[in-house]
Amino acid sequence: MEVAAELRNVTKTFAEKRALDGVNVQIFDGEILALLGPNGSGKTTLLKILASILRPTDGEIHFHGVKVTGQNVEKIRMESTLVFQKTVLFNTTVYDNVAYGLRIRRATKNEIDYKVAHALKLVRLEGFEKRLARKLSGGEQQRVALARALALNTRLLLLDEPTANLDPKNARIIEDAIATTSRELKTTIVMATHNMFQAKNLPHRIALMENGKITEVGTSTEIFERLSKTLASFAAVENTFAGTARVSENGSTVIDVGNNVQVVAATKNVGEVSVFVSPEDIIMSKSRFESSARNIFKGKIVEISDLGSVVRLKVDVGKIFTVQITKQSFSEMRLNLNSEVFLAFKASSVQII
Amino acid sequence: MQPWTKLLIIATAATVLIIAGSYAYFQSLIRTRLLISTTASLYETGLLNATRQAFETKYPINLAFIAVGTGQAILQAQGGSVDALLVHSPSQEAQFLAGGDGVCRKIIAYNFFTIVGPASDPADINGSSVTTALQKIVDYGRNHTASRIWVSRGDGSGTHTKEKSLWAKANFNYIQISAEFWYASAGQGMSQTLNMANEFEAYTLSDTGTYWKLSKDGTVSLVAFITETKDLLNVYSVMVVNQTKHPSVNFTNAITFMKYLISDDGQLLIDNYGKDTYGQSLFHSTVQLLKQNSTLQIVQWIKDYAFIKEDNESYECPPQYRDSRYPELYP
Amino acid sequence: MNMLDCLIASLQLSFSIDPRIIEITLRSLFVSGSAALIAALWGIPIATIIATKDFHGKFLIKTIFNSLIGIPTVALGFILFLAFSRETGPLGFLRLLYTPTAIIIGEAILITPIIVSLATTAIEAVDPEIANLAKTLGASESQASLVVLKEALEGVFLAGIASFNRAIGELGIAQFVGGFIFGQTELLTTGIWIELQLGNPGTSIALTVILLTMVFTINLALNTIQRIRMRGREWKSLLSSEM
Repeated sequence: MEVAAELRNVTKTFAEKRALDGVNVQIFDGEILALLGPNGSGKTTLLKILASILRPTDGEIHFHGVKVTGQNVEKIRMESTLVFQKTVLFNTTVYDNVAYGLRIRRATKNEIDYKVAHALKLVRLEGFEKRLARKLSGGEQQRVALARALALNTRLLLLDEPTANLDPKNARIIEDAIATTSRELKTTIVMATHNMFQAKNLPHRIALMENGKITEVGTSTEIFERLSKTLASFAAVENTFAGTARVSENGSTVIDVGNNVQVVAATKNVGEVSVFVSPEDIIMSKSRFESSARNIFKGKIVEISDLGSVVRLKVDVGKIFTVQITKQSFSEMRLNLNSEVFLAFKASSVQII
Repeated sequence: MQPWTKLLIIATAATVLIIAGSYAYFQSLIRTRLLISTTASLYETGLLNATRQAFETKYPINLAFIAVGTGQAILQAQGGSVDALLVHSPSQEAQFLAGGDGVCRKIIAYNFFTIVGPASDPADINGSSVTTALQKIVDYGRNHTASRIWVSRGDGSGTHTKEKSLWAKANFNYIQISAEFWYASAGQGMSQTLNMANEFEAYTLSDTGTYWKLSKDGTVSLVAFITETKDLLNVYSVMVVNQTKHPSVNFTNAITFMKYLISDDGQLLIDNYGKDTYGQSLFHSTVQLLKQNSTLQIVQWIKDYAFIKEDNESYECPPQYRDSRYPELYP
Repeated sequence: MNMLDCLIASLQLSFSIDPRIIEITLRSLFVSGSAALIAALWGIPIATIIATKDFHGKFLIKTIFNSLIGIPTVALGFILFLAFSRETGPLGFLRLLYTPTAIIIGEAILITPIIVSLATTAIEAVDPEIANLAKTLGASESQASLVVLKEALEGVFLAGIASFNRAIGELGIAQFVGGFIFGQTELLTTGIWIELQLGNPGTSIALTVILLTMVFTINLALNTIQRIRMRGREWKSLLSSEM
C-alpha cells in the first residue's frame, strides 16, 4: 500500500499549549482514516498540518515520499484541501466559491463550469450556482464548502467534523458525497468526527487521539471490538457508554453505566460492555409518561444546538444523552437550559458495541 | 516577504509615474516660469493679471505672481525662492538691497492711500491734514470707549507699515494706541479690513484700488476723506533677486520683465488701468516723470519718500546695487 | 450687497460655464484624485500587512497612523513649504514649490494615514480563517491576502472615498505649497479664500457651492454603485433561487 502522507515525530506548540506531541502516523493511498477523540485532543491541529497551512514546531511531514519544506509548501498545498468545522464561505455566489480553487489552478472556463456543476450535483445543490453563498441555510452552506473541496479532486481530502452542526438530512447528503468520492475517485480521506454512524460505517481505519498524541490506530472493526470501552469513556462518540451488564429477574439485560443510570437492553449480555443509543431513537417529553419503553430517565437540558430544522439537545440524566427533536416541538415544549425533561427509548434501541 | 517586495516596487514606481506625469503635464503648460513675489494689494486690484496677459502675448515667459504680505514677499526674495520682488515699502526695500539680496531697483508706479470712514464723519476729520485727522480720531476713540473707531490691517503688509509710520509722524506710540479698545486690528487683507470698518462704522487706511472697487460694488458705504497728500503717497517698485548671491534665480527673464514694466507699453498699461471701470486710473506711471526730472510737486514727493539715501545722495537705486551689464536701466 | 444678492450672483456664476471656474474645478479633481490614488497605492498594502501580520510594535504603528489622521493641514503645509523652498529647503532642487505637483505630494502625505487606519479596521473585520481557507484551496500567500482584501472591499472603498474627501477639502497645504497662482495652482478651496480677499464674495459662494455639490455627488455616485453591485448580486441570487 502506497503511503500518501506521513507524519514523523510531529510536535506543534502554541504559546502555552502543546497541541501535538510527537505524532507518528502513516496515511495510505485511497483509504479513509477517521480521527476520534475528545475536544482538544489535537484533531484540528493535525488536519491543519496535513493541509500545510500550519507548520509543525518539530518533526517532518512527507507527501508521497517528498518532504515538505518552506520552498515546496505552496506546491504541495495544491494536492490537498481541508473542509473546516465552522463553515467559511467567500462573500460571493456559490459558483464563485466553488470555482475559487479551480481558478487558482488556471482551469479554463469550460472546465470550471463542468466541475462546478459536477461538484454541486454530488452535494445535491444543482442549480444553486447563482445564489449568494452566505444567504443559504447552515446545512446548504456546509454542502457548498464540501463541493468546493470536491471540485478540486485533490489527492488528499481533509474533513474537520463535516457534519457537526448539521441536521440528519444534510448530514446524510454529506456522508453520501464522501462515500462516493472515496469509492469512485479513490481519494485519500482523513476526517475528524464525533458521529457514531460515520465512525462505524465510513472509515477503513481509525486513529484515537488524546492530549495531542495518537494512542491507537487500527481498522474500524479492531478498534470497536477492542476499545469500545475507551471510546465510550472519553465521549469520543456521542451516546456511547461503558458499563457492566447483568441479567435481571425478569430475564432482561440491565447495564449499569454509572451514576445510577441503568439501561435496559433487549439483547442478552453479561460483563463489561459498551452500549450505544442513536439520538433518533430517543423520545423526549416534559412530563413523565406511560409508554412501552423500558428506559425512562429524568434529566436536565445542559446544551442546546440549533441546526435549523432540527434542534439537538444534550440531556444530563446522570450520564449525558444527545437527543434530536424538531424545531417545532422545541418551541411548543418551551424548553431552555436547565429545563427538566424525560427521556425514553426502547430496550431494542440499545446497541451493544 | 517576496510578494511584498514586488508590491513595494510597484507602488513606488506608480507613485513616481503619477508625480512625474503630473509634473510634466503642468510643465508643458508653463514653458519658462518667472516667480515674482508681490504684495497682496497689487494682486487684488487686478493690475498684475492685466500685466501678465499683456506680457505673455509678447514674450514666451510665464509669469507666476505669489501674492503674500509685503513682509513675506521680501522674506521669500531673501531666501532666493523667487526671481523678482514687486512691493511698495521703500524702507524695507532699502534694507533688502543692503542685505545684498537684490539688484536693479526701478520705481514703476505710484498712487495714494486714502483715509476712509463712515459718511457721518463722527470724528470730523474731513479736510484735515493726516496728522490732525489721526489726533482727532484718537481723541474721539478715547472719549467713546464703547465703540471701535479705527480698523487696522494689522498684518505686517505695506499698508500696515505705512499706517504705522503715519502714527509715528503724529507722535503716537503705536504699541500703546493699538492696545486701546477703540483700535481694532483686522489681521487680514484690504477687502476684509474695509468690510470690518464698514461694519464698525470706523475709519481705516486703504489703498485707492481696493477702496474704489468695494465702493463701486456697493459692498462698503465708507467715504474717502483724505487723499493725495504727501503723507499718503504710495510708491511701487520692482527689484530683481541678486544672481550672485542666489544662483538659481531666473535672472535674464526677470530683467526682461522689469524692462517691460518700465517700457512705454508697460507704463501706458499702468496709467490706463482702471479707467474703464472706475472713471479714473488706479495707478500712475513714474518712469517718464523721474526721467524728465521736472519740477512737479509729485516728483519731489516721490524722491523724498521713495528714494534711497546713500552718502548724502538719494537714488532710485544706489550704484552699488546696479548690475553693470544693464546700464540702460539707469540713463 | 446682502447675502441674498450674493447667493443669486453665485448661483448665476455656478451655472454659467465660466471657463475659470471649470479650470479650477478640473484641477481640484485632478490634484486630489492623484493624491488619493497615490495614498491608496501605498496605504492599502500597508493596511493589509498591519491587519494580517503579527509583529513587534504593531500597537505603536497603529497608534501612530491613527494620530496622524488629525494632522493640521497648515502645519503639514508649512513644513512642506520649508522643505520645497528653492534654495533653503532640502528638496528645493526639485523646483516643486508653487506647482500643483507639490500639492499632490502634500495631500497624498496628508491622507495616507486616513486610508491606512480605515482600511486596517476594515480588513481586520474579515474572518481570519478566510486567509487559511484560501490556502487550503491552493492559494499562495499573496493570493490569500488578495482574497482577504476582496472580502474587505466595501470598507476599503469607503476608506478611499474618505481620503479623497479630505484631500479635496483641505486648504492649508494648497495654500502653502501651491501659492494661489492664477491659472496654475488655484484650487476650489484656495479659490474660495482668495476670492473673498479680492472682495468677490459671490465667486466665493459659487466655488463653495460647487465644492460641496461635488463632494456630495461623488460620494453619492460611488456609494450607489456599491449598492447596485450588492443589490444586483442579491437579485440574481433571488431569481435563480425561485427557478
